[in-house]
Amino acid sequence: MYYLKLIWTFFRIGILNEMAYRVNFYVQLLQSILSLGTAIAGLAIVFSHTDTLGGWQAVDILALLGVFMFVGGVIGMVINPSMSQLMDDVLRGIFDYTLTKPCDAQFLASISQIRVWRLTDILLGAGVLIAALIYRGLDIGPHEALAFAFVLCTGGSIIYSFWLMLATLTFWFLRIENILHIFQSMYEAGRWPIGIYPHWLRYILTFLVPVAFAITVPAEALSGRLTPESMITSGLLCVFLLAFSRWFWKRGLKNYSGASA
Amino acid sequence: MSNIPDITVQNLGKTYEVPQREPGLGAAIKSLVSRTTRDVEAVKNISFSVAPGEIVGFLGPNGAGKTTTLKMLSGLLHPTAGEISVIGHTPYARHKNFLNRITLVMGQRNQLMWDIPVADSFERNRAIYRISHGEYNKTLDELSTLLDLSDLLSKPVRNLSLGERMKCEIAAALLHRPQVLFLDEPTIGLDVTMQRRIRAFLGEYNRRHSATVLLTSHYMADVEALCKRVIIIHHGELLFDGDLSALIERFSPHKTIVVDLETERADLSSYGEVITAEGNSVTLRVPKTKTADVTGKLLANLPVIDLTVEDPPIEEVIEQVFSN
Repeated sequence: MYYLKLIWTFFRIGILNEMAYRVNFYVQLLQSILSLGTAIAGLAIVFSHTDTLGGWQAVDILALLGVFMFVGGVIGMVINPSMSQLMDDVLRGIFDYTLTKPCDAQFLASISQIRVWRLTDILLGAGVLIAALIYRGLDIGPHEALAFAFVLCTGGSIIYSFWLMLATLTFWFLRIENILHIFQSMYEAGRWPIGIYPHWLRYILTFLVPVAFAITVPAEALSGRLTPESMITSGLLCVFLLAFSRWFWKRGLKNYSGASA
Repeated sequence: MSNIPDITVQNLGKTYEVPQREPGLGAAIKSLVSRTTRDVEAVKNISFSVAPGEIVGFLGPNGAGKTTTLKMLSGLLHPTAGEISVIGHTPYARHKNFLNRITLVMGQRNQLMWDIPVADSFERNRAIYRISHGEYNKTLDELSTLLDLSDLLSKPVRNLSLGERMKCEIAAALLHRPQVLFLDEPTIGLDVTMQRRIRAFLGEYNRRHSATVLLTSHYMADVEALCKRVIIIHHGELLFDGDLSALIERFSPHKTIVVDLETERADLSSYGEVITAEGNSVTLRVPKTKTADVTGKLLANLPVIDLTVEDPPIEEVIEQVFSN
């Protein structure tokens, strides 16, 4: 309950922060619509030459695009800004204030910045997803819906853990914003099902930069492609990465305070 | 007040490992591959304790180890040697009960958010510290009155002056009514009026709530106004721990004698070192041991209207301490 209240407080502050620069809202909305437009145009071009792409039909890829935008919105709203803020705070010494608070520092750092206007991506993503489902005739049952919700949550947690581990490196190396930029461009690869990529890239996008679990796997759940193996792997990897990133974070804190020296 | 100290520090030491690099591009490229480090002892074998409700000035030149010590006391840094206990806790364990009862203010670093009104930044701290609305309003009322914040609360931080921002920073750090305050240069960069204002507030807050305060400052006026006791460190070592008056007694070998004469511009250099001579008033510096002797001679030989014996300014004494 305490943590939920805190999330709400930070969300409120996020709105207040964005209100200070209201034009941003319209810019963000325009940007979201433009990126959706180009993505759909891209899909239209590809599917004017072929009926399926790596076994996926146009409507399934549209659903995948919805997931891509939705997850990208969540990353852009909370994960990326908070992690960038963390690096900045560590560099400027402000992180000391986070550590003197009687609250879990990882939690505080993870929600410290909320870019509320990225909600536009989340809502548009959800809209595209629903539109794709309606176009297909709403043919998913409760099992598929549940499986989708499950792999979306585990996939989101995997992405969060991954991002946290990258940001945690700041405790050793201070300036590492570039790593986040690299990841941002890798994420872009997720707008297509990873099955269409060559084997080596598929491997990278699954385990090295776990975009596959955040986007392709949930989209598979919606188009009846999800195998029990993927679902179990996603669940196990989620638990493992949450625990591992937590451990890594604590190592980072120790390094920050000089306890490991 | 109990007799158990709020802060106990025993044989505290902190050694940093700092990267070392020769200047120049070649060395910079070399450091990408292999990094050489050297150990820097920031704090060496320091021991002291602070009683509940006490305000202690923590003095030393830049790089003396003051901030490092404050960071160890507030749980941010892990000591490399020695023991610390603050209100019964080991700080670096960062127990919630400990963090709930301390606060840290760093004059050069802000925790308030730049773009939103001050009151909303306060609200964030209220939520983090789980302060009930009733308690929060009471505390905020008190702080607003003491620091004159009422007009500032609705303004975004970026629109505040440095002094106004500092007042708000201090208030944000006190919303949870901490028992122990670690203040690292809370008046740095402020004008004299604002310094005095914050000083007066800290004194009043300490009286009202019997809060224990450990304060570092480069402004001796802060220290003189607030701290009966001072701890001085230099090169990471403890040089002095005791009353401000004892510090002057011990480290100043001189006294200052101010004499007002009936006649103008008498040459008094045979009595002591003349610091100033303006009109009928002459200020002399004399060795402490000769004070009585010189005073007697002045009174016997010259038409003295008034004579006062003073301690030299605290800045001068501190300078003396560091030069030894």
